[in-house]
Parts: sequence; C-alpha cells; structure tokens
Amino acid sequence: MKRDDTMAIQKALLSIVKSNVSADSQNWLESIIESADQSNKISQAFVMVPRKTGKSIIQLNNDQKVLLEEAGISYISNWTIDRLCRVWLLNTLNSEDREKLYATVERLFLSAEMNEAVALYSALPFLAHPEIWVKRCAEGIRSNIGSVLEAIIENNPYPSENLDAAAWNQLVLKAFFTEKNIKLIVGLDKRANLELALTLIDYAKERWAAGRKVHPQLWRLVGKFINAEIFEHLKVGLQHYDQIEQRAIALAVSQSDYQPAKDYINTFPELKLARSAGNLNWDSF
Amino acid sequence: MGEPEAFDISAVKGMKFFDPHVHMTSRTTDDYQAMADAGVVALIEPAFWLGQPRTGLDSFRDYYSSLIGWERFRSSQFGIKHYCTIGLNSREANNESLAEQVMEILPLFIYKEGVVGIGEIGFDDQTAAEEKYYRLQLQLAKEAGLPVQVHTPHRDKKKGTQRSMDIALEHGLDPYSIIIDHNNEETVKEVLDRGFWAAFTIYPFTKMGNERMVEIVKQYGPERIMVNSAADWGISDPLAVPKTAALMKMRGLSDQDIELVTYRNAITAFAQSGQIDEADFNAQKNVDLTEKFEGNTILRGGQQPRTDKSSIIIS
Repeated sequence: MKRDDTMAIQKALLSIVKSNVSADSQNWLESIIESADQSNKISQAFVMVPRKTGKSIIQLNNDQKVLLEEAGISYISNWTIDRLCRVWLLNTLNSEDREKLYATVERLFLSAEMNEAVALYSALPFLAHPEIWVKRCAEGIRSNIGSVLEAIIENNPYPSENLDAAAWNQLVLKAFFTEKNIKLIVGLDKRANLELALTLIDYAKERWAAGRKVHPQLWRLVGKFINAEIFEHLKVGLQHYDQIEQRAIALAVSQSDYQPAKDYINTFPELKLARSAGNLNWDSF
Repeated sequence: MGEPEAFDISAVKGMKFFDPHVHMTSRTTDDYQAMADAGVVALIEPAFWLGQPRTGLDSFRDYYSSLIGWERFRSSQFGIKHYCTIGLNSREANNESLAEQVMEILPLFIYKEGVVGIGEIGFDDQTAAEEKYYRLQLQLAKEAGLPVQVHTPHRDKKKGTQRSMDIALEHGLDPYSIIIDHNNEETVKEVLDRGFWAAFTIYPFTKMGNERMVEIVKQYGPERIMVNSAADWGISDPLAVPKTAALMKMRGLSDQDIELVTYRNAITAFAQSGQIDEADFNAQKNVDLTEKFEGNTILRGGQQPRTDKSSIIIS
C-alpha cells in the first residue's frame, strides 16, 4: 500500500468502525489503542472483538462509500464488523519497531481460530513493512480452510504486490483447484507469466483427460503467451465444442499476437461472429 | 428380545438436534454427512486425550488450534455449527511437568470465539495431580465466566462424581454453570438435586444405552438433562442423539421433552458462555440453499457437494 494512501485508509476505517459499534465498544477500542502497552493490549483485544462488536455486515453511508473508493478499498464493504475491527486494530499497531510488529502479528497467527485467521490475512495489505509478511502469506495459501483461502485470494491486493513468482503461481493454481472466484483476484492479468500459463495448460489437459470441464477464466492467463506449442493445445480445447470453453479460448487468442491462432479461430463461424460482435470479455465468464 | 428395530430416520424428521459432546477429529466425513441428514445442526467438541498420551506442549497447542480451526471448517462444510470446550483432560493431568506448560497456554485459547466452556476436565484415576489441575481449571473457568464440562470417571464413578461436585462448589462455582457428564442411574439423582446439569452419554457397551435413557427421562423429567454421543475413536455412534430422540418418540415421550433433552437444554447450559447464537445454525444452512438457488455451482465457503455412497461409480 502506498504511503499517501495510508492516511486515507486510516480515516476510512476509523469512520466505519465508529458508526458500526456501540458507544461502549467504541470507548473500549479507544482505551486499547491509547494504552501504553499497545501491542499486548491489541493482541488481547483482537481475540475479544466479536464479543464486543457482534458479527453483522457493516453498514455504510454514502460519505463512507466515497471514502472507501478514495482509499482504494471498496472491497471491504461486505465485511463483517468484527473482521473490520480486527483489521483496524492491527492497522493501528505501532510500526516503528519492525521486529516487534512482526513478533506481535506472528504470535496471533500461531493461535488463530478460523475467523481470526481470516482477519489476519485480510490485514496483510494494511500492515507496514510489506516485505516481512511474504512467507506468512505463502503459508496461508497452503491452508485448506475455505474462508481463509478466500481472504487471501479474493479482493486482497497484498499477494500480487508482494509475492514472488513461485508463490503467486501457487495462489492462482490453488484458486482454480479450490474453485475460488477468479474474477476477484487482484492483479491477475498484471502478474500473468509464461510459466503459469504452461502449468495451467497442463492442468487443463488433466481436466480434459478426466472428462471434466475447464474453467473459462484459465485461458485469460494464457492469451499473451500463445506460441506454436500452446496453439496445439488450444486446438484440442476448441475441438471439444463446449461453447463456453471455445469462447474463452477465442477471447484469449484475440489478445495474442500469434497470427496462426487468430486465423484458426476465424474458421469457426460462431466464434468469429461472437468476437466481431464484441460479445466476448472476461467479465462474461 | 426379538429382532432389533431399525432406526427409522423419518420418526424424527424435521427435528433439530444439538450434540454437546462429540469428538469429530476422530470421525469421517461420512459421519458428518449422516449427522447433518439426521438433523444435527450444532455440536460441541470437548478437548480430550487422543487415545495415547501426548509427549510435548506443541501437540497440545496444535490440537487446540485444530479444534478452533480445521475441525470447525470441516464441520461447516456439512452445515453443522461447531463449538468446542478447551481444557486439560484428567488422564494427561498426571504428567505434571507437561500439565504445567499446558496450563500456561490455556488462556490463549479459552477466550476464542466459539469456545463455550472449559472441558472436558475432572477425574480419571482420581489422583492428587488430577485434583490439582481440576481445581486450577475450575478457577480459570470462574475468572473467564465460562461453563465447565466435567468428565466423570469410569471406575469408582459414584464417588468420583460426588467429589467433582464437592470441589466445584468449594471453589464457589454456580452448579448451574457446570455440566456433569457421563451420568448413569446411580449418579443422576444427586447431580440434579444439587442443581447441576446432568449429561448422559449414549455409548455402546461401556456407558448408557438409550433404552435406559428413555426410562431416566420418564422418571426424572427433562429439566437440566441432556443427551450426547461422546463419539470418538472407539466403537461409538455419532447418531446417538437423533436415535435416542427417535426411541423416545416411539416410547411415548412428548415432543417438547424430547426437544429439551436433545437440543434446548444443552444450548441453555453452554450459551452461558455468551458464545452460542442459534441464528448461526440457520445461517449456515441458508448460505448453502441461497447459493444453489442462484444456480451457482461453486459451493462457497467450502460447502461440500454430496457424493452418492450407494453408487459403484466414483466420479
């Protein structure tokens, strides 16, 4: 997260916390963050949050919606209040002492229950020193708990901004394997790479061999890298005559510079038509 | 005895059940599916021993973590709300050097969301070490304002049960916050008379049978009585609660009494933790339905699709 965004984010979070908790809870939260023993108090409070705030989905007024948009975090608008409060608490942790910040947050990870883990991973983009959370984030991708994975994979800008290629590719693969909402992966197109494209094609071939369908969004990550070898695999996919899959492949091809593939697509009248009518875009899959 | 009767699930169709003692980490997904199908909407998994003693603190830490993490998720896949109680069990209280370390990490876990009590704690061999850690954990429950789930011993049960109650009262705990578990015909009267909750474990061969259970409810009424399966890694039955409800119905108990002993009483007792919200049970079910209704084939939050167990084809 960029420095100049930090203030806007703090402002937006604080405003929403205030309007979504009782006066009592507000006082309690304030006493926590103003305490001298800040990191210990916040750690304890982090666990207690749902008891004080409940777990309803947050309510936003129009001003707050604008604040969120300005801060670039509109995606938090469907969070529950306990999740938001927990992220906000972590966001207020003193970040001057990098080691201490790391130790405090890591300790919370080690004894996290399910919803705490969701909040902790959701908080990664809100924490200072993004470089120190890379391993933790990669570890999170190994989780099999659905809601925890969703917190990392969906609507979370941290992974695309910080993970190395290997961990990023694992995240995307895991998203397909565990049927997450691919459209909600932040930075998906930006971090497309050849190695990921090749791995995804192998995955598609496995799916075909098992008689299973291939997620159309998979081809979105292949388009840029189409070459003679990849083209051969795409032909196999096109021969399956699954309309959704065909259209996704056609769209991927339209984003590549590989002319033989473009020519080949034009031999399918339906695909040619759909493409020229401008009916194809990744949001439609 | 004639032919044993088959369990006819339709006898309890539409009823919902709460199993306040079941060790799901030892059970398969088939059990979860069967429980959900039989109407179990929520359960409590008490921390206990694993059939053999642990040798280090990290094993305890990871076990407690799994009760509030992975197991909670596994359960949610079947639309069953998972709660747990956290504690140092009586057998392992006898390893004093390890027990000391476990006591130090308990506060990290007992305040977690969905932790509805300290448990299962109490006596096994009734040694001095067991008593020491039972007392320390009662004190912890008192400070945290949490109910206590008390395991009573297999051997010398009656005295062990009396002693467990005496000690709890000695520590100033309200009997209404204490669930005395694994009762039988010999212990129930005193437990109820002294104001505690009496839980009964329907477990083949070694604990209560459900025919005896029907007689107990007929004799003592439904107040402060609850039924559980305590299903674990031994030969046990995760459907013990719905089966007992079905038997109660066949033997003429009222729907209201059945609901109390197989659902409501357990909620009333453990909701004193402030951690049980019945709306959550329904929410878990609704999530599943809405998503199917909207034609989304992706089961969100990890809800599991059904497999057809009767088919030879696995696809």
